[in-house]
Amino acid sequence: MPDQTFSGGVVIANPYPVAQVKIIQAPLPNQVILPLQQRIGAEAKPCVKVGDRVLTGQMIAQTQDQFCVPIHASISGTVKAIDKQIIPHKSGLKSTCIRIESDGQDEWVETKGCGSDFLHCDRQTLIDYVQRSGIVGLGGAGFPSHTKLNKATDCHTLIINGTECEPGVMCDDALMQHHPREVIRGVEILLHITGAKRAIIAIEDDKQEAYQSLLMFNHSDLISLVQLPTKYTSGAEKLLIKALLDIEIPSGGFAADKGILCQNVSSTKAIFDAVIDQRPLVSRIVTITGNALTPINVEARLGTSFEQIISLTDVNQQAHDYRMGGMMMGIDIENTQMPICKITNCIFVNNKKPKPPTKECIRCNTCNTVCPIGLLPQQIYWHAKGENIEKCMDYNLLDCIECACCSYVCPSHIDLVGYFSFAKALHKKQATDQFKTDIARDRFEFREYRLERNKQERAQMMAEKKQALKDKMAKDKEQGQVQKDKIAQAMARVNKTKEKNA
Amino acid sequence: MHNTGLSTNQMMRQVIYALVLGVSASYVFFGWGVVIQILLGTISALAVETVFVAMRGRQVLASISDGSAALTGILLAISIPAIAPWWVVVVGVAFAIIFGKQLYGGLGNNPFNPAMLGYAFLLISYPLQMTTWPVDFLSFSQVVDEVFNLVNFDGISGATRLDDVKTSLSLGSDIATLQVRSISQAWINIGFLVGGIYLLARKIIFWHIPVAVLSGILMMALLISVFDSQQHLPVQNHLILGGTMLGAFFIATDPVSASTTPKGRLIYGFLMGVLIVIIRAYGGYPDGIAFAVLLMNMMVPLIDQYTQPKVFGRS
Amino acid sequence: MIESIVIFSSLALILGLVLGYAAIRFKVKGNPLVDQIDAILPQTQCGQCDFPGCRPYAEALAKGEAQINQCPPGGQEGADALAELLGVETLVLNEEHGETKPDHVVYVDEKLCIGCTLCIQACPVDAFVGASKVMTTVIEKECTGCDLCIPVCPVDCIYIREIKPTLSTFIPNIPGEVHA
Repeated sequence: MPDQTFSGGVVIANPYPVAQVKIIQAPLPNQVILPLQQRIGAEAKPCVKVGDRVLTGQMIAQTQDQFCVPIHASISGTVKAIDKQIIPHKSGLKSTCIRIESDGQDEWVETKGCGSDFLHCDRQTLIDYVQRSGIVGLGGAGFPSHTKLNKATDCHTLIINGTECEPGVMCDDALMQHHPREVIRGVEILLHITGAKRAIIAIEDDKQEAYQSLLMFNHSDLISLVQLPTKYTSGAEKLLIKALLDIEIPSGGFAADKGILCQNVSSTKAIFDAVIDQRPLVSRIVTITGNALTPINVEARLGTSFEQIISLTDVNQQAHDYRMGGMMMGIDIENTQMPICKITNCIFVNNKKPKPPTKECIRCNTCNTVCPIGLLPQQIYWHAKGENIEKCMDYNLLDCIECACCSYVCPSHIDLVGYFSFAKALHKKQATDQFKTDIARDRFEFREYRLERNKQERAQMMAEKKQALKDKMAKDKEQGQVQKDKIAQAMARVNKTKEKNA
Repeated sequence: MHNTGLSTNQMMRQVIYALVLGVSASYVFFGWGVVIQILLGTISALAVETVFVAMRGRQVLASISDGSAALTGILLAISIPAIAPWWVVVVGVAFAIIFGKQLYGGLGNNPFNPAMLGYAFLLISYPLQMTTWPVDFLSFSQVVDEVFNLVNFDGISGATRLDDVKTSLSLGSDIATLQVRSISQAWINIGFLVGGIYLLARKIIFWHIPVAVLSGILMMALLISVFDSQQHLPVQNHLILGGTMLGAFFIATDPVSASTTPKGRLIYGFLMGVLIVIIRAYGGYPDGIAFAVLLMNMMVPLIDQYTQPKVFGRS
Repeated sequence: MIESIVIFSSLALILGLVLGYAAIRFKVKGNPLVDQIDAILPQTQCGQCDFPGCRPYAEALAKGEAQINQCPPGGQEGADALAELLGVETLVLNEEHGETKPDHVVYVDEKLCIGCTLCIQACPVDAFVGASKVMTTVIEKECTGCDLCIPVCPVDCIYIREIKPTLSTFIPNIPGEVHA
C-alpha cells in the first residue's frame, strides 16, 4: 500500500474556513459574455449573428479542431454583440466574445441523452455526448474531457480527483456534499466508457462530510474512496497518481500511457449531466472567499460577470484586491466586469494590502525542499533573471507545474513563479523563432539553388539549340548536295538522251 | 499570499540573537574584549555598507536593516582576538564587506563567506595581532586601554589554548601530560552549540551542514589519532577547542556561500570538517576554519552541479 | 640542474606530441564559426547589412571584414549575441543600415494587384504565390518581414501588418526589481 503522499508540497491551513459548506443558486444574470478562445486550439467560430435569438444550451460557436469543444449559450436571449472584450487571462489582452442579453425566460433547447440506460449506449456515443456538451476539466486545467476519454483506450484504473488541495477553495467539497448521487453515477458512466477495472475517489482528510456523503451513496464494488493527508499539491494529477498508486508518470508523458485516467469530481458530475440528459455545460459552482466577506459557494451561469457574483455576498465597502483561481495558482485581476468561464473555480476578494517588499535571494534552498517535482527553483530563478533560457532548460524548467509552493515559502518574498512564467514564455518564443529562421534559411538556400539551376538549364538549352541548328544546317547542306547531285545526274541523263537522238 | 514563516530580515536577526549565549560565555572568561570588538565591528560594518550601497545607487535603509552586514561584523569580531587593536576589526570588516560582498553585487551574490574572507585577510596581513589572545578576565578599562592602544600591559596576552597545545606537542610534550585546562574554550563552544541548536529548532538553518562539519572533524581526527597520534590532539578536543561550534553552526551555514542542494551540503560540510582538522594538524595556522570555509566555497559550484536532486518523472 | 632541464624538455616533447596528435585526430571539418554566426542571424535575408543575404554576412564577419552592428532585424540583442560569440566588445546598432522595426509581415491588397510578378522575384524566401497577369498574395507563415518587395511594387499595393501578441504568444513581464 503506497504511503499516499508525495515529497515536497506545503501544508497550509484553510485561511477562511466555514462552519457549513453550502451552495447558493445565483439568480439569472441580465447578460453573459462568452469568450470564443478556449484553453487549447483555435478560436471557435460563431454560428449565430448579432440579433439572433438563442435558447439556453444552444450551440453558438464551434471549431473544426477535433480537440476542441463547442460553446453554448448559458441563458436564453438575444445576441447583442460579437466583439473583443477583456477576458480572465494574466495577459489582460482582449479576445472575441459573444454577448447575450437575457430575456429572463431561461428557455432551454430540447435535449435528450441516454437517460439512466447509459449502459446500453456504446462508448463512442457517450464520448460524443461529452464533446457536444462542451465538457472540459473543471478543476482549473480546462482540458477537453472527450480528448482524454478518447486517449484512454487501455485504461485499468480511473481516479476521481476530489482532493481540492488549494486552500480556501471549496466548490468541489460543496458538490460532493450536495450532489453525491450524481457524482457516483458519473463515476459509473466513466467506468463504462473506459472499461476500467476499478475507480478510486481521492479526497483530502479535511473534508469529512464530503467523504461520508459519498460513502453513503456508493454501492459499487468497483468504486473505492481513499482519504489522503491534507497537503497542497496533492491534487496535481501526476502527484496524485504517485500518492495513490506509486506510479511515476515520466516527464512529458501522459497518465493514459500507463492505463490511468484522472478526472476532476466536478467534471465527473458534468459528464453525468451530459450523458444522461445531453445537458450542455452552462453553469458551474464558484467559491467566493477572502477576508472581505463571508465565504460562500455560488452556482452561476457561465459568462456572468465577477461583479454580479460578488454582489451576492456580504462583501464590505473597502478597496479590494481580486484574484481569480486559488490563493496559490490564481491570477490577480483588476477588472470585475470580466465574465466567469468554465475554469473559474474560485474568486478571492481581500481587503487591499500592500505587497511585502522583495529582498535578494539568499540561497537558503527552502524552495527546493517544498517543490513537489524536486526542482531547484532558485537556480531557475537566477538563470531566468539573466534570460539564459538554455540553462533554465538544463534545470528542467518545463517540468514546473507552477504550483507556487516555492514562492509561498521564500523568506525574501520573491515571486518565483512569475520568473518561471516569463522564462517559459520566452522559451516558447525562442523555440518558435528558431523554427521559423531555420525554415527561412532553407527557403532562401533553395531559392538560390533554384535560380542557379534555372540559369544552368537555360544555358544548356541554348547550347542544345545552337547545336541542333548547326546540325540542321549541316544536314541541309548535305541535302542540298544530294539534290545537286540528283539534278546533275538527271541533266547528264537528259544530255545523253539528247546526244543519242541527234 | 505568503506564509507566516520568517522573512529574510527576521532570520538574520535570529542568528544574531543566537550568538548571545556564546558571546556571554566569552565575556565571563575573558572580559569585555569581545563586547567592544562586536560594537566596533557592527558600527564599521554598517558604515561601510551604507557607503557602498549608496555608491551602487541602491536603497541604503533596506540594505542595512536586513542585518546581514551587522552579522558579518559580529561574526568577524567574535573570531578575532578580544584584545586586538581597534583598527584590526575595522579594517577586517571593511575588507569583508567591500571585497566579500558589495563588489559582487551585494547580498546573495557573493561566492565567499565575507566574514571568513576578512579573517583570512587579517591573519595573513597582521599575524602578530591575530595570534595574541587574552589569557584571563579583563576589565572594561583594561580592554579599552589595550584596544585603543593607550597603555601596553604585559602578561595579559598569549596564544590560544589550541595553539598552545599544538606548540607544546611539537616541542615534544607527551599528549597524556597535557590536561585540557581550558574550561573557558569548552564553555564558549557549548554556548555556541546551544545557540546553534536553537537555530535548528526554529528551522533557520538546516541540519545538513553542522552535522556534516562535525562528522568530518570527528572522522579526520579519528583517522589522525589512529595513524599519527603522538603528534596531535585527542579527538574530543577538536570539538571543544577553537572556533569549532561557531564555525559549524554560524559560519559554515551562511546560505549564500554554502552549497544549496541537500546532498551537496552534506559533502560540503564533511569536506570542510576534514580540511579543518588537516589544517589544524599539519598546517601552519592555529585554527583552520577560515581557510577550510574559503576552500570549500570555491568547490560549491562543482558540488552543486553534481548533486542535483532527483526530478519527478525523470529517471 | 641537469635533471630539471631533462625533465622539462621531456615534458615539452611529450605534451607537444599529444597536442599535435589531437590537432590532427580531432580536427573539425568545415568552418563552424560561420555556421555559429549564421545561427544567430535572423535569416530575414533583407540585405540591409549590405551583403546579399545572411550567410554572406556571416562569412564576412568570420573573416573580420564586417562589423557586428549591421543587422537591424537582429536588433541590439542580435549584436550583443554576436559580440559574445566572437569575443569582442558589443557595439550599438549602426543606424545607417536601417532601424529595427517591430516584428511584422506584409500583405498584398489584392484589389490593386496587376500581376507584374516583380514582388515574386524580389522575395528572398519565395513567400509569394502568383504568376504573370494573375493576382499575387503573401504566404504569411513564410514572410520574414524583410520588406524587399515593398519598393518594387509599381502600384504600391503591399502593406505592413505588425505581429501583435496573442493569448498564446504573450510574454509576461519579468517580476519587479529587488530592493538594495
